Amino acid sequence: MVYEEEQRPRRVVITGLGAVTSIGLGAPTFLAGLKSGRSGVKPITAFDTTGFAHANACEVTDFVPGEWIHHVDPEELGRATQFSVAAANMAVADAGLTAQDLRERRVLVSVGTTDAESRDLDTLVGTQLEEGPERLSPGLARRAQAGRLSSGIVRELGLVDVEALTIPTACAAGNYAIGSGFDAIRHGEVEAALCGGADAVCRKTFTGFYRLGTIAPEVCQPFDVDRKGILTGEGAGVLLLESLESALARGARIYAEVLGYGLNCDAHHPVAPDQDSLARCMEIAHRNAGVAQEDIDFISAHGTGTRANDVTEAGAIRQVFDTPPPTVSIKSMIGHSMGAASALAAAACALAITEGFIPPTVNHRETDPECGLDCVPNEARPAVLNVVQNNALAFAGNNAVLILGRMKEAA
Amino acid sequence: MTTTNELNAEDRARIKGIICDILEIEPDEMTDTSRFKEDHEADSMGAIEILSQLERAFGTDIDQAELSRMVDLDGVVTVVGEAVAAKLARAN
Amino acid sequence: MSSLVLSAWSAISPYGVGNAPLRNGLAEGRDAVAALDRDLHEVPFQQAALVPDFTAARYVGKKGTRTMDRVTALAVTAVGNLVESVAEELAARPEQTALVLGTGSGSVQSIMDFTKDSLSGERPYHVEPARFPNTVMNRAAGQSAIWHRIKGPNTTVAGGSLTGLLALSYALRLHRGGHCARVLCGAAEEFSAQRAWLEWHGRADEERETPLGEGAAVFLIEPAEDAAAAGRTALARVGATRFRAYRGTDGPREALTACVRSALDTAGVEPGAIRFVAPLGGGGKLAAEEEQAVIDALPGVHPEWIRMRERIGDTSAAATALQLAAVLATAGEQGLGPGEAALVTGVERDGQVGCAVFTGG
Repeated sequence: MVYEEEQRPRRVVITGLGAVTSIGLGAPTFLAGLKSGRSGVKPITAFDTTGFAHANACEVTDFVPGEWIHHVDPEELGRATQFSVAAANMAVADAGLTAQDLRERRVLVSVGTTDAESRDLDTLVGTQLEEGPERLSPGLARRAQAGRLSSGIVRELGLVDVEALTIPTACAAGNYAIGSGFDAIRHGEVEAALCGGADAVCRKTFTGFYRLGTIAPEVCQPFDVDRKGILTGEGAGVLLLESLESALARGARIYAEVLGYGLNCDAHHPVAPDQDSLARCMEIAHRNAGVAQEDIDFISAHGTGTRANDVTEAGAIRQVFDTPPPTVSIKSMIGHSMGAASALAAAACALAITEGFIPPTVNHRETDPECGLDCVPNEARPAVLNVVQNNALAFAGNNAVLILGRMKEAA
Repeated sequence: MTTTNELNAEDRARIKGIICDILEIEPDEMTDTSRFKEDHEADSMGAIEILSQLERAFGTDIDQAELSRMVDLDGVVTVVGEAVAAKLARAN
Repeated sequence: MSSLVLSAWSAISPYGVGNAPLRNGLAEGRDAVAALDRDLHEVPFQQAALVPDFTAARYVGKKGTRTMDRVTALAVTAVGNLVESVAEELAARPEQTALVLGTGSGSVQSIMDFTKDSLSGERPYHVEPARFPNTVMNRAAGQSAIWHRIKGPNTTVAGGSLTGLLALSYALRLHRGGHCARVLCGAAEEFSAQRAWLEWHGRADEERETPLGEGAAVFLIEPAEDAAAAGRTALARVGATRFRAYRGTDGPREALTACVRSALDTAGVEPGAIRFVAPLGGGGKLAAEEEQAVIDALPGVHPEWIRMRERIGDTSAAATALQLAAVLATAGEQGLGPGEAALVTGVERDGQVGCAVFTGG
């Protein structure tokens, strides 16, 4: 690859948001939910929960695929892909663009995920147990592919000059996908990027977390002294990224600027997070974004609500920040939407910057002194935000930290 | 009051086999009181794996709070014995 | 101006574990597809191309592999053979090396076995927690990092049969964004009964019988000057990667031709310089369209065609990475020569095409 050194990196801005969440469909409804501290928790309907002592999750219950997907037959898409395609359509419309506009541009589509279409794989296992592997549905077998999460968007929008990238880096995947979109625009590789993450609630993942003893019986309470674990969730967040130049030229609304991101790997344990390594990831992100720790106005934490995550993450934050800024977890409202989680959190950060508020951590009674953070309990807080940080952690110690900033005119 | 069901030698050997398999050690490396974590390098995943496999093997439920007692073979045998006894009591 | 080069590679193929078996297998023109032991594998295929005698215990070791699935073991082994080339750098600054690994859907066998335990056990939570991470698709990349202490960015990439090319494209972008000093990049795919059944049902009739293969290939990508400083031979310079979709106005042939032309243009390579072409060759009539597209983009050129799928079956997510490995295996110990170039292409049945151009000297 030849680098054209004379080409100055471009500034990258967010001009469109798509959100499929358990507290609302579309950016305006998602925003209203974040501001009012809505909770998406309810009993699971995705699969038969008989035999589990408790089975709450944050499911998306009002999603009618045909209302959001116009060109591809929703039956050809698994539920996670339906979410990602719907969120992409929302993001494009929200940016004031049409599919035709994007067909004329070089585009990167990058979508992160934990499980891709594992929900379809669950269904196929059921068929296999009852009727044998000879009877599997060809339609389900075809659509249960991770690559579909991004290629589904390409098909729906009829994109032509496009790279369709799916990034299954688990629960940090949304930030990974946004980061790659940022780099692609920054260096002039593409003119627009649709990037984010998607996942659907499935038996496999609920069971795994349940078995590990990390599913909360009722609600998710990040940073609370009585926190009992995660709630699985689902949805999709997709951001439309373009260069500042392109956004200004077409008079687009700019939610926020992507300042940079950092990635690293603990390379230590399959599931347990590592405080020092996470702290290093934050520092890498700050360096990449050209900001200092004191510039961060609030942190959208990974904040799963497990004992291990929250205390480790809080420790890493205290390690990096002289005075930790307010640190919230929107997982208290929408649960852990896996690969969608950091993409939806990034969308929430962009909305927070635009609307001047910090989303709350709901279900909060008493902050765990071991965490020792201001988690903006229960009610959103008005704030002028210039730089915000979005944390994401995944199994295997895959960390990803994204930095967004208020759009400022070039100095 | 907790009732204890004395597991026989066969059950005890079966438990030991399961644990040694999970910890990837030979049976003769483990004594009744050698500690999984300190002596055999078990981590939190290993502990929960032991609990899960024993639940499946003995068809019983073991509360995760019992992990604090399941630190060596003797401890595990006691916990499993109680769980089996509780199951029998429920069945009667 | 700096350029990125491939300066080491590591392959596991149905010819065996390591680069030499691949080199020899290709040189002999040997077919690695063989009859499946149907007592061992309850699958709808008569034949497959398996990595001979490959098990986690044998190649990764007895300790720590009790619950390691096959795709993870393939990845850990392939990455392990590659990191020997950068052992010093990795030990000194583990955070500067990134690992980008392509996968299909992780291990569908691990994912579906886990659900099976939940559905058929006495209790729905009677599953093995230690196997839960196997059901998450970043497992192979994550375990490879843990095993070999690779602390830089660790990314898993999926995109059907284009996965290897997409991983390469992602890796170039990651490096260009300043996130690492070097990247270990490639893809892995396992043979499993569950993958076999999904492929059997998901494929169109015309390609149903194509035997499944498996394997992994990973490459060391670093700036040319770093390779030179470390005394590693630059086997090929990474010219460009390009992708397009073909469900819109263009068919796969037109889309791939446009793709190849654009990649050659970006890389500054004349069509006549192309010495090797390694096409995917998948998807029934798509294979013919793929080759025709390359011929359209390289008029009057007569490159050497390296058709891996005929030899090692459908290696799905690992296919394009193994195609690149085959190019390097065929080019020889010194890699592509001055003025020579190579092209790796793929057509994904889901509607995308992609290619990568490499140059020598």
